[in-house]
Amino acid sequence: MDERPVLELRGITKRFPGIVANDDVSFDLRRGEVHALLGENGAGKSTLMNVLYGLYRPDEGEILINGKQAEIASTRAAIENGVGMVHQHFMLIPVMTVAENIVLATEPVRSGVFLDYAAAEERVRELSERFGLAVDPRAVVEKISVGQQQRVEILKALYRGADILVLDEPTAVLTPQEAHELFGIIRSLTEQGKSIIFISHKLKEVTEIADRVTVLRRGKKIETLPAAGATEESLARLMVGREVLLRVDKVRAKPGEPLLHVDDLHVVDDRGVDKVRGVSFVVNAGEIVGIAGVDGNGQSELIDAITGLRKSLSGRVVVGGRDVTHEGAKECLDAGLGHIPEDRQRRGLVLDFSLAENLALHDYDAQPASRLGWLFPNRMVARARTLLQEFDVRGGGPHTQASGLSGGNQQKVVLAREIDRNPQVLIAAQPTRGLDVGAIEFVHRRLIEERDEGRGVLLVSLELDEIQSLSDRILVMYEGRIVGEFEPGVTDEELGVAMTGGGQRQAA
Amino acid sequence: MPERLLARLPHGARAYAWAGILVGLVAFWVALPPLKVRTPLLPLLLGLVAIGLGTWALRGGVRRLGWGAIVSGVAGIGLGYLATRSSVANLDQVVVWSALFAAMLRYATPLAFAAMGGIFSERSGVVNIGLEGMMLSGAFFGILAADKLGAWWLGLLCAALAGGTFALVHAFFAIHLRADQIVGGFAINFLALGITGYLFLDIYGGSGTPPNIDRIPDVHLGFLKDWAFVGPILGQLNLMIWLAAGTIVLAWLVLFKTPIGLRIRSVGEHPRAAETVGISVYATRYAAVTLSGVLAALGGAYLSIGFVNSFNQNMTAGRGFIALAAVIFGSWRPFGAAAAALLFGFSSALAQRLPAYSESAAVLFQALPYVLTLIAVAGVIGRSIPPAAVGRPYRKQ
Amino acid sequence: MSEAGGGPEGSGKAENPRTGGDYAPSVAARLALWQRAGGLAVPLLTTVVAFLIGGIVVIITTGKNPLTTYKAIFEGAGLNWFLEIGSHSVGLPFTDAKVWFPWDTASLAGLNLQQTLLIWIPLVLTGLAVAFAFRCGMFNIGGQGQYLVGAVMAVWIGSELPNLPGVLHILLAIVAGTLVGAAWAGIAGFLKATVGAHEVISTIMLNWIAVWVGVFLFGLGGPLQNDAQESVPVSNDVVDAAKLKVFWGEPLLQGLHIGILVSLASLLVYWITLNRTTLGYEVRAVGYNPEAARYGGISVARNYFLAMAISGAFAGLAGALDILGWQYRLNTNDILVSTIGFTGIAVALLGRNTAVGVGLAGLLFASLVTGTSTRNLDPEIFRPELASNLTTIIQGLVVLFVGADVLILYLLNLRKRRRRAAVALPAAGPDA
Repeated sequence: MDERPVLELRGITKRFPGIVANDDVSFDLRRGEVHALLGENGAGKSTLMNVLYGLYRPDEGEILINGKQAEIASTRAAIENGVGMVHQHFMLIPVMTVAENIVLATEPVRSGVFLDYAAAEERVRELSERFGLAVDPRAVVEKISVGQQQRVEILKALYRGADILVLDEPTAVLTPQEAHELFGIIRSLTEQGKSIIFISHKLKEVTEIADRVTVLRRGKKIETLPAAGATEESLARLMVGREVLLRVDKVRAKPGEPLLHVDDLHVVDDRGVDKVRGVSFVVNAGEIVGIAGVDGNGQSELIDAITGLRKSLSGRVVVGGRDVTHEGAKECLDAGLGHIPEDRQRRGLVLDFSLAENLALHDYDAQPASRLGWLFPNRMVARARTLLQEFDVRGGGPHTQASGLSGGNQQKVVLAREIDRNPQVLIAAQPTRGLDVGAIEFVHRRLIEERDEGRGVLLVSLELDEIQSLSDRILVMYEGRIVGEFEPGVTDEELGVAMTGGGQRQAA
Repeated sequence: MPERLLARLPHGARAYAWAGILVGLVAFWVALPPLKVRTPLLPLLLGLVAIGLGTWALRGGVRRLGWGAIVSGVAGIGLGYLATRSSVANLDQVVVWSALFAAMLRYATPLAFAAMGGIFSERSGVVNIGLEGMMLSGAFFGILAADKLGAWWLGLLCAALAGGTFALVHAFFAIHLRADQIVGGFAINFLALGITGYLFLDIYGGSGTPPNIDRIPDVHLGFLKDWAFVGPILGQLNLMIWLAAGTIVLAWLVLFKTPIGLRIRSVGEHPRAAETVGISVYATRYAAVTLSGVLAALGGAYLSIGFVNSFNQNMTAGRGFIALAAVIFGSWRPFGAAAAALLFGFSSALAQRLPAYSESAAVLFQALPYVLTLIAVAGVIGRSIPPAAVGRPYRKQ
Repeated sequence: MSEAGGGPEGSGKAENPRTGGDYAPSVAARLALWQRAGGLAVPLLTTVVAFLIGGIVVIITTGKNPLTTYKAIFEGAGLNWFLEIGSHSVGLPFTDAKVWFPWDTASLAGLNLQQTLLIWIPLVLTGLAVAFAFRCGMFNIGGQGQYLVGAVMAVWIGSELPNLPGVLHILLAIVAGTLVGAAWAGIAGFLKATVGAHEVISTIMLNWIAVWVGVFLFGLGGPLQNDAQESVPVSNDVVDAAKLKVFWGEPLLQGLHIGILVSLASLLVYWITLNRTTLGYEVRAVGYNPEAARYGGISVARNYFLAMAISGAFAGLAGALDILGWQYRLNTNDILVSTIGFTGIAVALLGRNTAVGVGLAGLLFASLVTGTSTRNLDPEIFRPELASNLTTIIQGLVVLFVGADVLILYLLNLRKRRRRAAVALPAAGPDA
């Protein structure tokens, strides 16, 4: 491996109003290496890469490429300097072909004006063979798999002559096989002299693929170290800045009668793809059932089907003895479900409503909020006042717009609304996503309290830690099926194997 | 090339459906000149065949086209029957195919220009409800310049300038100020209506535009004179009609065969993606919207100095909206929109000739474009899918 | 920085894939901004700027002092009536008694004011038609068509059923006009709710269908064309019993009819429906965030349909009141040149979709329309036919700037959001 850095970032500082997103961060990348950029959400990884890609101008610091200072004021300049970026959310045009997407803005031309499709396809074929990225240049992007779309993104960067490739959380959307294939691609790229910045917050991947690791925390660079000697524990310590204490205090569950039956459920997504293929499980009173799995293995569709937001193809959902399989959202809620949705801003709250109005979202049409279609705002406010106090929502009163609260407080509002309805089963989908530590603890404590009061809790989370520390039983979902059931004592390795489809144990 | 074309032709159940639609049309056609079948039996028979083909297609899973064939069959029987009941004299007076087609081309031309403009604007991601106003400005400033400067081509030039200016205003509000594009387009319509009306009255007063204004010339194709059917249609058409045809082909070439088109479409589908590869979303949209104003204005100028040779207040009378309808009906594709413009032009031509039967009912043909487009957006005959980012203001990062 | 759902650039496709993407984004996201505007500053500024530019047009084209022109329009609209305070009397309705009143009800200014208020009646309603749909996240451009079908229905019932008792006849005509307006808009709402057809497109199409159907009905040889005058494309007259009572001014000279009470009541109904009923709660929830509404158990489709139908009801009502209150007949030219529904868009936008705002913006545009009409504007000062075009220009400018003030609000909002982010998440960088 060549030791000379192809890229150096020196003392990069980027401020946003009220935040220092990058505080004097230095970083270097050698030819042919995979350098992982590790940090929690909000640690400043994406900001740093956006600076490198010309999307942000740094307030201080300089960028050196191949030892020469480079002025990167636009994405075009970044491309010209050999920097290519594979965004977490793909920058692909779904209705166009692979070749069109790859050559966009640097198209081969024939007779001076016409786009040379044949040449474009040929170039794409060449590149894809050279780097082992198999794609069909004529395929329409929206019709190919996510893994293939990612290859198109990589090809796009390579086509533009990128020597430095930034992969932003590349495995977040991939199935385990696809992730495995991606690692193979990364190795073949580095063998051919490309250098790769691999952004992640997944320790396992980082130790597997990276040569060196740079850890960011709260905008500051903490350390750069060789991946070879690093353990997951040591990296985790650097990442969060304290010994990770994942266990939440709780007493053993005392499961009671079954409250939620899901029986051989089949669900398709918006595009008609089978996402849930015969899922069956039971949630009993007084227990937390955790569903673990890599994102996109059907968890969202499962939750939507249970809560009446999506029609299921076949199977049965029974809540507290009432069959709600073919009912709408309202009936499911009335049957005794509480639902903390995975996206509180898009779904959980009407951001432009006041907190009082948001808290009435499920029962605005019943006493006491209204009677015979007539609304009583004062009663909504009075109830909101009590709830906001009970759930310790800070930063606003009943008349405050929900958009004015921080994420943690918004989530508390959702929690307050769902718990106050006194549901039999509480469904919590990624309830702590994007929250700060204090809010996470609040949510966790509250979920356990609800369990102890005899509710059934169904927890869906992508965070293994959360699943491990809260669940009384753990189900693993993989490609639309429950592929394993575990006790809370299970090791991360065992869970990981099941989540990646390696488990042989089939759920009963 | 031929085998690729063949591969693109419909086959299987789709072919049955298309055949059904055609047979349904023929069921009506046999009752019209020149065949003028007088027995209602033949239209009935053909219509039933069309319905059968449609049913067959339905069973093959082709729902929309299948229903299309059935509707076509039913309409063929109904209209065919009516035609056999009508007097031969009336038929001969109304259905003069060559005159109908020539009128269709005249009515379709302004629509086609504006529709091509609409396609460029919307393909780049900017909704253009202001086509009507831009067209109207072209009609007025075209005739104003042709009158005051004394040459039709200067009229065209000024029309293009005026339309481009209105479009630039729309572009500025839609792109830089990120105002709502529908509201902005609507404002353009108001503004153009007010400004052209104001200046028209201020300059020409009550007497209207003078009669001797230099008009866009016709193209005489003498060699076509002796050709049956084609001669009367194409032999003497206005220059702008031929230019419209050229514009349609050019629009298709630019949009789908050149890098510029790829970039325009990418900006309309996923502006962020376009920006990350170095395409300027703002510049692309400005150019596309301005071009749409220029094209719409040329359509308007044809109305005033190519077609009717005068101007009156609000003379476009909704043609900009028909053009918008053609864009949607044609699924944001040049040839699709051109076909829609021809269809709508044909319905206008019919409306002009049908009073022989019923003065009042002929007017209903004016509503046909809107009804068809309503049906199209309802998805009955295959849904039109707009560019993904149309109407969404884009913010640079 | 994570954007709230449906942010302005929302790169995602529309939620319902069956629709194959939305024609234009739901107006909900930007509507939220408009609602937050609350203050008077922006609409006022918008109006002032529009009048300034209109004034410049006057100077450039006529060389006259625009202030004189505006003053003439002001007086043409009869707004000076309020300034002429004296000692007069007014008759109490339903009695012969007269009481003291500070204004002269019989003055010329009063006559002009009657005309302004006469226009105000339908403008408020077509404004509400746009505003109500807006609150549900939809842009109802079809107020014109809904107004027309309401008018057509009212003229039909008002003229063709001569033997009904007066009150019943009036009620029937008004209710039918309102319902048919609701049904007309309901088509667009239904298409939006079921197949996701964009309401802007469908309402534009429905406008023109309404126009041509109207022209067909009353045109020469049309089924509803006047029985007596075969050569005039006009409807039969509304029978006297079905005419609304004119309580200020001369019925033959277009006096002010009691429909104004209906408009005032509609403003109240609008506010109450939105803010004090569960229906209003649902409509607003869907308008702000359809996905959250769905999650909350609200039927989004049902609300799209209902909100459009209610919108159309307002516009249909406007058409019915105009017919029964002062037009009494409908000719094809009226149908072709009427723009009252389109002006309603400007009214709703300038009035920020609030009841009070719509009332005030309605007054502004009604004054402009009346003040520049040939009947009311002093031709010595400004040629009325030019002035009516000036009105259209000012209308266009207002709409243009109202759309653009989103920019100002956007900046305000941005600052607020940044401050919030700074307070709430000190650690979270832009990649949060």
